[in-house]
Amino acid sequence: METIRLPSALLAALLFATPLASCKKHKPVPAAGQTGDKAAPTSFARNETLYVGGRQWGEPSTFNPLAGWQDWPVNSMNLIYETLLMYEPLKGELVPLLAESHTIKEDSVEVVLNAEAKWNDGKPVTGADVKYTFDLGKKYKTLLQSPVWSYLKDVTLPEEAEGKVPAGSYARRVLFTLDPEKKNALPVLDACVEIRIVPKHAIEPMLTAAKDNIDEFLKLKFDKNPLGSGPYSLVSYNSEKIVTARNDNYWGNKVFFGGKLAAPKYVAHPIYKSNDHFSVGLQQGNIDVSASFIPRIQEKKGVKAWYDKEPFFVSTSIPMLWPNVLHGHLADPHVRRAMAFAINYKDIRELAVSGYSDPLESGLVLPFGLEKKFFSAEDAKEFGASRFDVEAAKAELKAGGYTSVFKDGELVEMRDKSGKKLPTVYIKSPTGWTDWESIVRIAVKGMRAAGIDARERFVDASLFWTALQTGDFDLIMNTPTPPPSPSKPWSRFDLVVNTADWVPEGQKMYKNMGRFNNPKDPAYVARFDELMKQIPQIKDEAELIKAYRELNVLYMKHQPTIPLVYRADQFYEFTEKVWKGFPTSANPFLPPQMPGDRFGTRILWQITPAK
Amino acid sequence: MLRRHPTLKHVLGRAGWYFITFLVAVTINFFLPRLGDANPVDAIMARAGGNLDASSAREKEDAYLREFGLVETDDQGKVIRENGIPVKTPLVTQFVSYLGMSLTGDLGTSILQYPKPVGEIISNALPWTLTLQLPTIVLGWLIGNLLGALAAYKRGVFDRALYPLALLASAIPAFCVGILMVYVFGIKLEWFPAVGGYDPGQVPEVSWAFLSSAAYYYVLPFLSIFLIVVGGQAIGMRSMCIYELGTDYIKYAKLLGIRENKILLYTFRNAMLPQLTGLALALGAMVGGALITEMIFSYPGLGMAILTAIQGNDYPVITGCTLLVTVTVLLANFVVDILVGLLDPRIRVAQGGSK
Repeated sequence: METIRLPSALLAALLFATPLASCKKHKPVPAAGQTGDKAAPTSFARNETLYVGGRQWGEPSTFNPLAGWQDWPVNSMNLIYETLLMYEPLKGELVPLLAESHTIKEDSVEVVLNAEAKWNDGKPVTGADVKYTFDLGKKYKTLLQSPVWSYLKDVTLPEEAEGKVPAGSYARRVLFTLDPEKKNALPVLDACVEIRIVPKHAIEPMLTAAKDNIDEFLKLKFDKNPLGSGPYSLVSYNSEKIVTARNDNYWGNKVFFGGKLAAPKYVAHPIYKSNDHFSVGLQQGNIDVSASFIPRIQEKKGVKAWYDKEPFFVSTSIPMLWPNVLHGHLADPHVRRAMAFAINYKDIRELAVSGYSDPLESGLVLPFGLEKKFFSAEDAKEFGASRFDVEAAKAELKAGGYTSVFKDGELVEMRDKSGKKLPTVYIKSPTGWTDWESIVRIAVKGMRAAGIDARERFVDASLFWTALQTGDFDLIMNTPTPPPSPSKPWSRFDLVVNTADWVPEGQKMYKNMGRFNNPKDPAYVARFDELMKQIPQIKDEAELIKAYRELNVLYMKHQPTIPLVYRADQFYEFTEKVWKGFPTSANPFLPPQMPGDRFGTRILWQITPAK
Repeated sequence: MLRRHPTLKHVLGRAGWYFITFLVAVTINFFLPRLGDANPVDAIMARAGGNLDASSAREKEDAYLREFGLVETDDQGKVIRENGIPVKTPLVTQFVSYLGMSLTGDLGTSILQYPKPVGEIISNALPWTLTLQLPTIVLGWLIGNLLGALAAYKRGVFDRALYPLALLASAIPAFCVGILMVYVFGIKLEWFPAVGGYDPGQVPEVSWAFLSSAAYYYVLPFLSIFLIVVGGQAIGMRSMCIYELGTDYIKYAKLLGIRENKILLYTFRNAMLPQLTGLALALGAMVGGALITEMIFSYPGLGMAILTAIQGNDYPVITGCTLLVTVTVLLANFVVDILVGLLDPRIRVAQGGSK
């Protein structure tokens, strides 16, 4: 009898522990997410809160504005920190934000700051802040503002240099002098729409406290009342969501919106584990806008997209296969072009990506939207290989001297001119990325039917990144994604054919991972680099169109990569259960961007409560 | 001296073995994830290095590699490269520095969630995991055992109805139950929320609004594990009880005319032992997280943390979490070992060799 009591005592203890354990949950979580604001709200009324999704996937780790990758709402957002300019991707215009105007000259870009622009502590946003932000990138090579320095000579404040700063005021003109060799203003304009300006008076002392050691500084999380100039502030975060609250004194209210406040008092981002959760969240009305991938959106109750029919989204980038041209017969443009002819692009569009794409055209220029003027259907027809045509694929192989051996309709092997058997080439793609897996399977099916010995190889995602950068692949899936900025399509070509950083396989390349067009190779095609250097300097539109056409034809002839389909950089889905008035193709007053994201920030002033 | 204290000898002997097991487990936990070819910094560089030029990207990569102690550095702290490829620090050296850090309680910094310390990741996730699992396992165990014992004792219609139901509940995979519940009660009927741990409009705090919303959100995840635990426990307890009821000592007790309640207690005590072991082990393994349930309901527990870490080769997080699991599983085993010894003299005799 006595010993029987022991297990029951144990049970009783455990049962008592249960409510304690559930209470425990509530204590540590807010501690982790405290933002130091004593008046931080603990509940957010649904009709005052806009829930966005698909831009944050894991527990937040840093909100440091100088970190290479920050959590929502810092990275690529204009909620807490702001850029000088914004880019309107539908019209291709640069729109004022911190800078009220900009001038592009032969050898410089000048911006003038808005006199009203203020940090949220009331101090003005000055030329010194801008210069400080950019100069950080000159000093510390690992910051986001560092790459632009290969196109910049210096950043100066002409008013200070000329001694023309009015007493009691500050310099508002900032002059970006271009590198005299390259004279390429595009990356500088990109930086104006992508680099978030930080307050010198807040950042400099912190950096000094970290003994100017940037690695130490980057360990600061900036989660306690960070000082920005934007319309919202971080108020709370934990592993389930991040919440920002409106700054009613935001300087831009008066300048851009006639004194009107943004509609949602809070903008929050719940952290879910997968696309499915955001999809369920949208259907249940717990998420208002999302940038996540949702298959077959037309079947989802109450969920709307930019277009109300296919392709539903505005495509901005091109997922493609990257052949490693150092690998045997992949060096031969005939093989690469044959591969392009062999793929059934209609199947990819309809089966792999839910129809979220316009029909594919040859070349690296998008045949719709702003880039359409640089696209030539004639050229594509004459030189392009991105159309499903098995006979053309076979003709390319024949022209290269290749033979394919079939048995019972199945490909056995591929032989070169001398009759030597060629090795199977493998297409690498991360395992579990289901849309890419389907794309690769369709590509392999087409290639084998046309007589090209290719197979799929799905690898662990982390191995995938190593392989991509070091060139450890025959062919690999990847989407070059330049930010939405004025430099497209030049920046897309740059990611594909850039030869400036060419290194052999084994070392890392972040552009042109297929190692195309080695400058030291006898077969080097100098014209690619010449055109890439000239295009940013061309002012005349007819000239520019001519140059892009030549570049695109060159690309089609050499086929350094194999485009597969078009895709939106970010999807854009919304429901109107709680908020209404989101932009759509029928009412395109703003582009399909997430509220808070780049130019999409302005959606916050346009939406209204649904009830 | 130990000979005079058989129980103490038993405990110390067990403790010694557990310590050795612990050392082996820690070593395996450290080396296993690192044996592969992957470089965790590549994943960070893929998103942070894309727009950098080659030399800046290399500098950034070096900074990360240095920070995580993955590569050899020269006197000036520069990463040593051969043919442009960083020279990796031998795993054994990394292991020694890891042991040194672990002894001071420092689990290191996450690579994927840099600069967040591993300790913080674990302490954020652990309360969720405990809340999700502790009540489920304990209640499931209790109710399951009661039902099982009842079925064994009552037999008849009750047993015939319960047994197949319990078999069904324990045989359905956890993800099936979870997904079905989300679909039926979350999406179709909209009775319960399908995703998350509490109303998105709340911040965790001790308030009626928060607690009630947490309870409401708790229903589906709780049920999805609870039903399975109940089923499994009921089946186990039922067969144990039937077995005990058929043994000679029970028959003898019945022949002696001992009261039925008393006989039931005898049965219970003996049938409980394996079940108790099961409970302790389940509680120990609990900190590993209920991965499937966490995935389905987007519950932010340790299972998800471990999965994300493994997918991204986030070595410090993998090692930190497995260390936690190792320690708790071993502790639970140890406690069970000792407890069972105390509860069941036969085992103490067999293990301790005492007379």
